Amino acid sequence: MNIIEIENLSHRFADGTFGVKDIDLKIRDGALAVIAGPNGSGKTTLLRHLNGLLLPTTGTVRLGGIGVKQDLLRARQFVGMMFQDADSQIVGETVYEDVAFGPENLRLDRGQIQSRVQKALQAVGMSDLASQRPHLLSGGEKRRLAIAGILAMEPRVIVFDEPFSSLDYPGTKQILKHILSLHQLGHTILVTTHDLEKIIAHADRLILMHDGKIVRDGIPADIMTDVETFGVRRPCAFRLGLEADSWLN
Amino acid sequence: MAELTSFSFSAGDSLLHRLDARFKIIFIIFLTLVSLNVYFRGLGFLTFILLGAVFYARLPFDSGLKELRYFLILLFLIFLARVLSTHGVPIIDLKYFSVSMEGIYSGILVCWRLALIVILGFAFISTTPPSAIKAAVQWFLKPVPFIPEKKVAIMMGLILRFVPVILDQARETAEAQKARAVENRKNPVYRLTKFGFPLINRTFQRADDLVVAMEARAFTENRRDPELIAHKQDWMALIAVGCLCVSVLLLSS
Repeated sequence: MNIIEIENLSHRFADGTFGVKDIDLKIRDGALAVIAGPNGSGKTTLLRHLNGLLLPTTGTVRLGGIGVKQDLLRARQFVGMMFQDADSQIVGETVYEDVAFGPENLRLDRGQIQSRVQKALQAVGMSDLASQRPHLLSGGEKRRLAIAGILAMEPRVIVFDEPFSSLDYPGTKQILKHILSLHQLGHTILVTTHDLEKIIAHADRLILMHDGKIVRDGIPADIMTDVETFGVRRPCAFRLGLEADSWLN
Repeated sequence: MAELTSFSFSAGDSLLHRLDARFKIIFIIFLTLVSLNVYFRGLGFLTFILLGAVFYARLPFDSGLKELRYFLILLFLIFLARVLSTHGVPIIDLKYFSVSMEGIYSGILVCWRLALIVILGFAFISTTPPSAIKAAVQWFLKPVPFIPEKKVAIMMGLILRFVPVILDQARETAEAQKARAVENRKNPVYRLTKFGFPLINRTFQRADDLVVAMEARAFTENRRDPELIAHKQDWMALIAVGCLCVSVLLLSS
C-alpha cells in the first residue's frame, strides 16, 4: 500500500522559477527511501509539500489516500519533518517544553502531553536532559531533540532533511541508529542527502533529483552507476565494486 | 555555545524556586512600591531580608554583581546627577557647581531604591523558569481586553529562546570579521555596518526558518494552556510578604 502519492506536482516560486516540476512519486508504507541530488535540485521543496508547508502550483499530494490540501492539520501530524538546521527547529526554552510544543498545539490533555513527551525523550535517550536549556546541547543532542519533538506528534512518516550535515562521526552514528530504529518501529522514512555514503546501505530505494525533476528512481545498486552524472558522489564501496557497508559496522 | 549569564534561571529546590510565578510577580510589585515609599531605615531592613533570601536560595550573587557592572556605572551617574542638581546647604562650593548634604542624601536614596529593585528582579529571574514566567504573564493578561495573551506568551517564549542563539550568531560574526582583520579598520561606523547587516540578515533568516518549523509542528494560537496551581505555601508567602510590607512602612513612618 502506498502511503504517499504525488501526481504531476510542480511548484513555481514568486520569481517564476520552478522548485520542482512534473513530479510523480509513490512511496510504499514502511519504506526507507533516500532522495539525493546536488544543492538546489529541489529535494527540500519536494519534502515541504508533504506536510503542506508548501502547496503545489499544480498537481496533488495525498497521504494515506487523503489530499494534503484537504486537511493541513492531519498532514502535519501524519508527516514529521526534521529540518537541516536543528537550531531553528527548537522552540522550547527547555528540552521538555520543546518536545511538548507539538502535543500542546494538538490541544491534548496534560496527562497525554506528559506521557508523549516522556516516551519521545526516552526513545532518543534524553530523559535525563529534560530540564536542560536547548542552546547548551551539542549538535548531535539538538538533532535528537528535534527527533523527539517529531515523535511526540506520533507521525506515520518521518522526513529527514540532510540529517548528517555538520555532525561528527559519533553524532552521525547516533542519528543513523535513531533513523533505523524508527524504521524498524514501522515508520516510513524519507532522507534527503547529497552524501549517500552514510545511509545508502540501509535504503531500499534511491530517488535522484536534478533541476527540480526526478531523473532516476529505483533500487540503489541498480542506479548507482548514474549518480555522478547528476552531481552526487558515488559511495566508496560502489567505486571499489563492493557492497555498501553500514556506518554502524 | 552561548554562555549563560547570571541573569537566567538557575535550577534549585529552595522555597523561592517552588513558589508560583504569579505570586512572585505580585511580591515584586508590592516590594517595589514599598521600596519607593520608604527611606533609609526601611530600605536597610528590606535589603537585609532580600539578601538573606538570595543567599538562602544559593543564587549566584557574585557573578550577578559582575553582570551588573554596567548598571553600577549607571547608578553612579544617577548619583552624580542627583548630587549636583539637588539644592541645599552646600558642603563643597566650587565655581560652577556645589555639593550639598541634601544632594548626597537624595542620590544615595534613589540609587539604593533602584539597586533594590534590580536585586528583586535578579531573585525572580534566577528562581523562576522562563515557562513559568510566560504562563504567569499569560494568566495576568487574560482578563485584559484587546490583548492576545496567548500570542504575547508565545512571543515572550521565543524571545527568551532565541536571545542566546542571536548572541551566538553575533559572536560568530564578530570572530569571522576579526579573522579578516576588521580591527585594522578604525572607523566605528564602517565596523558597525559590516557587523550589523549580516547579523540582522541571519536573524531574519532564522526567524523565517522558525516560522516554517513551528508550522510543521501544527502551531496554532489556540494551544493547550499551561497549568498553574496555587499551593498553601504560596498563600502563606503572600501573607508573609504583606506583613513585611506593612512593617517596613510602619518602620519608616
